[in-house]
Amino acid sequence: MPPESKSWPGKALHWLLGAGLLLTFDLAGRALAASLPLSIPGPVLGMLLLLLALMLYGRVPYGLGMVAEQILRLLVLIFLPATVGIYFLRDLSGGDWFALIAAMVIGTLISLTLTAQLLNHLIQRRARRRGEHGQ
Amino acid sequence: MGSEMHTLWSQWLAQLQQVAEGFLQPLSATHPLVILPLNIAGFWLALKIYRRTGTPILHPVVGGSLLVFAGLLLLGVDFPGYQQGSALLYLLLGPAVVALAIPLKQNLVMVRRAGWPLMLGLVVGAVLAPLVAVVIAMLLGGSHTVLVALATKSVTTPVALALTEQMNGIHSLAAGVVAFTGIVGAVFGPTLMRLLGIHDERVTGFTLGINAHAIGTVRALEISALCGAFSALAMGLCGALTALLLSVLTST
Repeated sequence: MPPESKSWPGKALHWLLGAGLLLTFDLAGRALAASLPLSIPGPVLGMLLLLLALMLYGRVPYGLGMVAEQILRLLVLIFLPATVGIYFLRDLSGGDWFALIAAMVIGTLISLTLTAQLLNHLIQRRARRRGEHGQ
Repeated sequence: MGSEMHTLWSQWLAQLQQVAEGFLQPLSATHPLVILPLNIAGFWLALKIYRRTGTPILHPVVGGSLLVFAGLLLLGVDFPGYQQGSALLYLLLGPAVVALAIPLKQNLVMVRRAGWPLMLGLVVGAVLAPLVAVVIAMLLGGSHTVLVALATKSVTTPVALALTEQMNGIHSLAAGVVAFTGIVGAVFGPTLMRLLGIHDERVTGFTLGINAHAIGTVRALEISALCGAFSALAMGLCGALTALLLSVLTST
């Protein structure tokens, strides 16, 4: 790997390379998802593929890190169209609305609590065991 | 796989062309040059308000979407028109999900150290989250459409859209359920963790990723990179697992 260039043409080149990598893995994930009999979403597969590639490569390329940081900072903006969609839902009966909202609010709070308690318990037990063996 | 890659590439190019054509249309309320600045202004303003006040209720996900919705009402734009104008943002959805691999890689050592408890928590959480919601809705007499939409609750938006298509649910309802669940989790999750006496950022991140997916991950990234990494990991694995379980369940 050449030393990281700080001049703007070098930076732009690294940025383009990073953006290209994200796009390539997005498409690769989609292609893999389409060839599998199960409906695992393409971008999620793409993320796992990129993780695997980065593990093999050993580190995060400069340009990729730069693009990823920028796109993750804009995550809320990118998800806005999907979020705004909830205000446009009209095709449900009153009872359905009640069941839906109750299930989402109460259900999420319950599963948040249960998942967190379980994880916390498991991780602490493991940490204690490791402590006993004098890590 | 090579030919599929090629079709997908041409599909993507067609999508890009559609976005470009959107810009060339005569100026109207649904023109990208109106909708995109509205999105950016809503996001930017909501971020300012959120940083000033610091209350989780006013998280940019909530404030931003409300501001944009208010803007759409003022302009008299309906949802399909808004979606059309936001085509550029939809194009970024896939690469944004893929980009979550970077915080994951950067915190991989911490993930490895947590090991199998995480995997067990993942499986239980992935089954539990939609199950609890579906049972509550069933008890309250929710219709089939509502139950199907809730079943996809613990996956990210693009995933939910693909899944409900197969299960004949309403598209926008599934997206709405995923977004709303994400908001509930992101807004109340960190506070709930504090009330439960959990200060382990790995647990907070992983729980947010399972229950509040992408929006939870945004919130987790604000807490710390470590928290965000665990959230991204949980979201990715949970999305894959739920998609797998649901497609097995519906095919039999």
